[in-house]
Amino acid sequence: MALDPGVLAELGSIVGREHVRSGAGEVAPYARDATPLFSSPPDAVVFPARTAEVAAVLRLATAHRIPVVPRGAGSNLCAATVPLQGGILLVLTRMDRVLEISNEELLVRAEPGATTATVADAAAAKGLLFAPDPGSRTVSTVGGNVATCAGGLRGLKYGVTRNYVLGLEVVLPTGEVIRTGGRLWKDVAGYDLTRLMTGSEGTLGVITEVTLALLPMPATASTGVAYFSSLADAGRAVTAILGHGVVPATLEFLDRTCIGAVEDYAKLGLRSDAGALLLFGDDGEADAVERNLTRMGELCADEGALEVTVAKEVAQSEALLAARRCALPALSRLDTLTVLEDVTVPRPRLAEMVDRIDDVAARHDLVIGTFGHAGDGNLHPTAVVDVRDTEAAERTHAAFAEIFTAAIGMDGTITGEHGVGAAKLPYLRQRLGDDQMALTRRIKTAFDPAGILNPGKVGS
Amino acid sequence: MSAEVSPGTDALAAAGQTRGIFPAELLDRCISCGFCLPACPTYAQSLDEASSPRGRITLMRALETGVLDDDDATLREQASYCLGCRACEPVCPAGVQYGELLEHWRSHQWQGRRRPPLARVLTNVVVRNWLVRRLGLFSRHARTATAAPQGPHLMLGCFERALFPAVSRAARRLRPELDAPGDQGCCGALHAHNGDLELGRELGRRLGEQLPGTIVTTAGGCAAHLASVLGRDRVKEFSEYAAADPATALGELRVDGRRARVALQDSCHLRNGMDVWREPRELIAAVADYVELPGAAQCCGSAGSYSLLRPRDSRRVLAPKLDQIEAAGVDYVVAVNPGCQRQLVGGLRRRRSRVRVLHLTELLAAAQDGGLPRRRLRLGLRSGRRAEVPADEPAGTAAHLNDRPLPDDPGAAAAGRPDALDGSAGPDDIR
Repeated sequence: MALDPGVLAELGSIVGREHVRSGAGEVAPYARDATPLFSSPPDAVVFPARTAEVAAVLRLATAHRIPVVPRGAGSNLCAATVPLQGGILLVLTRMDRVLEISNEELLVRAEPGATTATVADAAAAKGLLFAPDPGSRTVSTVGGNVATCAGGLRGLKYGVTRNYVLGLEVVLPTGEVIRTGGRLWKDVAGYDLTRLMTGSEGTLGVITEVTLALLPMPATASTGVAYFSSLADAGRAVTAILGHGVVPATLEFLDRTCIGAVEDYAKLGLRSDAGALLLFGDDGEADAVERNLTRMGELCADEGALEVTVAKEVAQSEALLAARRCALPALSRLDTLTVLEDVTVPRPRLAEMVDRIDDVAARHDLVIGTFGHAGDGNLHPTAVVDVRDTEAAERTHAAFAEIFTAAIGMDGTITGEHGVGAAKLPYLRQRLGDDQMALTRRIKTAFDPAGILNPGKVGS
Repeated sequence: MSAEVSPGTDALAAAGQTRGIFPAELLDRCISCGFCLPACPTYAQSLDEASSPRGRITLMRALETGVLDDDDATLREQASYCLGCRACEPVCPAGVQYGELLEHWRSHQWQGRRRPPLARVLTNVVVRNWLVRRLGLFSRHARTATAAPQGPHLMLGCFERALFPAVSRAARRLRPELDAPGDQGCCGALHAHNGDLELGRELGRRLGEQLPGTIVTTAGGCAAHLASVLGRDRVKEFSEYAAADPATALGELRVDGRRARVALQDSCHLRNGMDVWREPRELIAAVADYVELPGAAQCCGSAGSYSLLRPRDSRRVLAPKLDQIEAAGVDYVVAVNPGCQRQLVGGLRRRRSRVRVLHLTELLAAAQDGGLPRRRLRLGLRSGRRAEVPADEPAGTAAHLNDRPLPDDPGAAAAGRPDALDGSAGPDDIR
């Protein structure tokens, strides 16, 4: 369904003709994001530079009932930005300025297309920390981070994106520009629309400016690593650490499959005979960090760790964190199709969930490596199969359906930080139930009566 | 993972409906994570997914599965807009061999009439040995009559021997054990990068037969291509070769009574394709004060034939680099690839910069000699005249050949016009 030439001309007059692309080849690269197996090109890609342009595009789209999908860098893992019904893909990368950093108020104001790393670096230059730390931070945009409520490696101690969103400027699908929240740390006037927008995956409005909370930069950080013969042992160590009142900045794990893949790929000198690897780390004042790391090391040893090492210097710390960061790419090298999931369970049931995943993988004859955020109970079971083996893809599909059901059965969720998008929409009802699904739809309709924003995703 | 799998390129590929333009195992590697986006110079310019490595791979998949046809305007534009610098490869978590994908892409896309005419001319010139020899006929590049059976041989390059003959002379002076037979041909890198992968590989194999054993090259781009054809162990880029055997006394390069301050421009294919980047830095630091440019690892826009095929885009990539070089307060900037050398010479000359460009071999030879001759006063004297090289001049001191205007460099003709001096201010450079 190509767009009407009149609409294309109007889009051109709003954002400038050079910022509207509609040729088959021009739109083809925008058919997908970082999610495998989802691909559907938009009819036009539009690059606005200002809030007023976004509003004009949305008014036009609502008037003509044209789907609009907002997009940042397209690094999400749930097909949230794949334009399943075509229409306009609204790419916000031209709006990439960091507008303000305030040491006094501990906040940053930025346009949505600025990358997470750009914002974090700008804050760091002023001695401030932007705490959310998604794996794709060099690529992802802050607008996308807010729209998907991105998580990351620091979730346990620092929380996720939602804990840092103070205010938003949002363009509603009908063209009104609203500002939710603001610069205030306390503000209970009305519904918390800022939180509602956070994680709404571009289905309620288009975020055109974000105000994010910052923290003072911690003086120092350090990381240690412990190897265990099984994930159950590692799970007990996690429970022991948190039970002893230590809330570390980093508490990440890799299973046996991941350790092997990472070692083959990055040659970091990891122990490939271990059944699990636990990375623990903390930041803050030097003496507190040292005390916490020593304590965590001891607790790991008490729970039967095969080996415990604490990094002596920053470079060594970085290398250890690199092991965790490259888990996904390392796994992806094992075969041609990598399906990454994101189930989350209550922390004490982490080891149990990993056992269930291993069991499911064995029954479906699949290679599934699991890594993730032990402190958050957030697991990333990752299946690697041959993209041309349709039967293996079917088995993967069936396996993940079972894994989702198992997670929900443990009071967990189908996605901890990646989002629902198109990829997990079929499982959303299972997680939310009929009443919440109905309410979600009513909320969606209140924001977007014409149903133009990211149709076929949450709320549709 | 979902039941609602849409019929996209993945699904078509899975169903086996492919044209065989690309080796499937290369195209399948990309997981579309987008980690390459911040590394790509053309994405930085355009902020358009189509001109990012991930977007180009999506385009290649669309070509492979027939979603787009060969004549699609975006396919044609992007196959040519890409610098081929391979900066996306070291940052790629999934190990995509983008450079090779691009070679396959251009080999398909640039068949027949779709091939840029200039690319055709360039590659045709160097396909025959006698023509390559002719390129070096009037230049005083190094040559030796005989070749040792197992080398190490110095590769003379095709355009390098004509443009920068002092480089091979300096290399031979630094490492006299290198033989340099004058009848050697082109390595084929130019062909591989310009739409004739098969011929590029054939020329590489032929050169491998002409120069059996170890081949040492002063051109990063040639090194990476040769290594891909002949195997990594047979090919040594000069800095790699020299750093492996630090026996030679290197000397010191001084300017105005102090140690010279020297920056480096990495060769993209040397760094991204062969992981050689420490060695030239170490060698420079041994003879001078090494200054790391903030963007030393980023492409200078020369990119082989790119500076000729897409001069505007090439200048846009170069402009920030020239700013960095001038801000760094260095005496010399060192190149390890003739294309980069030519690009920097042209760019700095347009700005009337005081910074001089040397090949690494020239810098090292000058350090051994105890310095370079004083720079000639050039203002007002720069017509199209070719610089004369005195017959008795040592190889390492012939660096002022860099100042020779190149016939295809528009900046040379404009020199002297004040408004044409600053390469960063032209209309091409505004995003």
